[in-house]
Amino acid sequence: MHTMGVDLGSTTAKAVIVDGTGAIVAHRVVQMGAVSRRGVTAAIEDVLRESGVERGDLGVVIATGYGRRLVPDATRTFTEITCHARGVAAMSPGTSLVIDIGGQDSKAIRIDSLGLVDDFAMNDRCASGTGRFFDVLARALECRLEDLDDLALAGSDDLEVSSMCATFAETEIISLLAEGSVPADIAASVHRAVAARTLGLVAQVGRANPVVMTGGVAHSRAAVHFLAKALGTEVSVPREPQITGAYGAALLGLESLQGETTVIGHAVEREHRHTGQLANGHDCTTCSLGQAKYQPIDVELWTASVAADRRP
Amino acid sequence: MNAPLHRLAEVAADPDAYVVAWKQSHPGRKVAGVLPMNFPEELLHAAGFLPVVIQENRDPDSDGRVILAEFYCGYTRNLADQAAKGKLDIYDTYFVADHCVQLLGAADVMRFKAPGTPIYFGQFIASMSEESTARKVRNEMEHIVGEVERGAGTPIDRERLAESIRLYNTDRRLLRMIFDARREGRIHLSGAQMQDLVKSSMVMDKAEHVALLEQLLTEGIAAGGSQARVKLHLSGHFCHAPKQELLDLIEDCGAMIVDDDLYHGRRYITTDVREDLDPIEALSTWYFDRNVNVPCPTRVQHDADWDTYLSNAVSESGADGVIVLMAKFCEPHMLLYPELRKMMDERDTPYLLIETEHEGLPMETIRTRIEALVERISRKATVAAAL
Repeated sequence: MHTMGVDLGSTTAKAVIVDGTGAIVAHRVVQMGAVSRRGVTAAIEDVLRESGVERGDLGVVIATGYGRRLVPDATRTFTEITCHARGVAAMSPGTSLVIDIGGQDSKAIRIDSLGLVDDFAMNDRCASGTGRFFDVLARALECRLEDLDDLALAGSDDLEVSSMCATFAETEIISLLAEGSVPADIAASVHRAVAARTLGLVAQVGRANPVVMTGGVAHSRAAVHFLAKALGTEVSVPREPQITGAYGAALLGLESLQGETTVIGHAVEREHRHTGQLANGHDCTTCSLGQAKYQPIDVELWTASVAADRRP
Repeated sequence: MNAPLHRLAEVAADPDAYVVAWKQSHPGRKVAGVLPMNFPEELLHAAGFLPVVIQENRDPDSDGRVILAEFYCGYTRNLADQAAKGKLDIYDTYFVADHCVQLLGAADVMRFKAPGTPIYFGQFIASMSEESTARKVRNEMEHIVGEVERGAGTPIDRERLAESIRLYNTDRRLLRMIFDARREGRIHLSGAQMQDLVKSSMVMDKAEHVALLEQLLTEGIAAGGSQARVKLHLSGHFCHAPKQELLDLIEDCGAMIVDDDLYHGRRYITTDVREDLDPIEALSTWYFDRNVNVPCPTRVQHDADWDTYLSNAVSESGADGVIVLMAKFCEPHMLLYPELRKMMDERDTPYLLIETEHEGLPMETIRTRIEALVERISRKATVAAAL
């Protein structure tokens, strides 16, 4: 028996199919327009094709994410808060704090050992510190989004950035450029300010360790670095940080079929430990975080890892 | 929906239309606009006014948008907007007995925009436990009686005041019967319907309202809703009604509202005026009793606090969680919220804070937060039962 979790976010659609043990059979992330029905259809079709599972053979389909109510033929919905908690508990057992930053929103979720939500906080309507914010930053600095990490990690983060509004930040960045500030320093300082903003969410639920970061922004080495630095602790990033919500949804579907409520879950299918971001500047060759080239940085406070099933 | 509920909902949806129609059908009578939340409406009723608690309306703020600063709450800014648009001209006079700075700002705008409409002020002391408090409240009540008599142009007959008190007590008692039945799961009315009951009471002629409530209770109210739903207590909103789409959303997310301490809820109906005392003395006592029955963060009282009340209310109703509805920039609420939060953390009661504004609530984001609260409660309950 297989189940599918579908996470229709603001800028991406994710689909995950798990087998009866909770192991991931296939997953897909599709970039799309805002809450796109076409994107979610593509993600579902792709993941079905990859898994070889027929749509009619799926026990249940659980939808999550901002657009969860738009997912076709979903058996039921769960919020992304519940699903990220569930997915991270399976991928990284023992996690206490999940920081999820997606295209338009950010969340801090404190979870217990069973992956149940103890408390959560999310941004209201401000896109500050979300993927959207980094789009604006890259545009203002006239660099490609994929180059922003290197730029920020090479800069000094001591410029004062007061506005965290995605709209007004562009104006402020232009002002800093006009004053002669170096783009790398601006990028670093904005990342530092965004991390401080995220700490505000964390403060609402209370700090806890270990910390796992999920969502599209977790792909950003700079965002993770500055968050870890601000938190003063390690931040782990799953191998596929965008699929934890869909994965959690699929596991919740499995629970509903099996009637089990205390299953920690089956972790991702293979263990991976991020070996990049070391002080010697070596790349990680096996995960998405390490594939990009970057300058050596001080990573004293930061490691990224994907936790596999740590159960005995 | 049965006929009384339909009529009460109609009045709650458009208080201005009710006021205009009432004036047409009562030539020569005056309507007094009252600002929340402690004005003794019985005095106005006994003096021949139709007392109406002025409600926030649904219109986007425009003409009055710039009159009050952005950091005034949505209700007071909307009052300013209504005043700027002439919407408050349906009232013959205004009465205020509270000292909220923002509310006084709105009252200033009302005075400025309608200089021909008399506005009368009182100010009850907020420090409830001083030796001198009882005397000061009594003196202030005498002052307010004088203001009402000045507005009416005639003295208030004490026997008529006693009758008004009995009528208002009857209305509150009937409303409490319905609220208690909801809390005990004996009836099912939606959050919006419960709000209609109280909001219409703030607007309608009390005798007419009592008659509709009696008819509603005689005809009967549908039995309790699904017990499988997550039970929630709504807390906050001292002055204006939470938007009904927000109440609907809470229920649409799988929750059932079992109790509240909203002004457009229990806070308005909780306390009767004693009928065994001199009416003025009884109204003074009522001011104290209200703050014991549902304590208010704008008052300081050594032997009554909102957090203890809320904790007891949650225990009594068996609510699984609390949603706090806080009007943005409501300072007393903002200042007391940490105490509420501490209490709820200590008793391990899940809660969610929703900040409300006059316009532009991000409903889908709020839906996610409410659903997450409901899921959090229901999943924990399921796991606890399985362990």
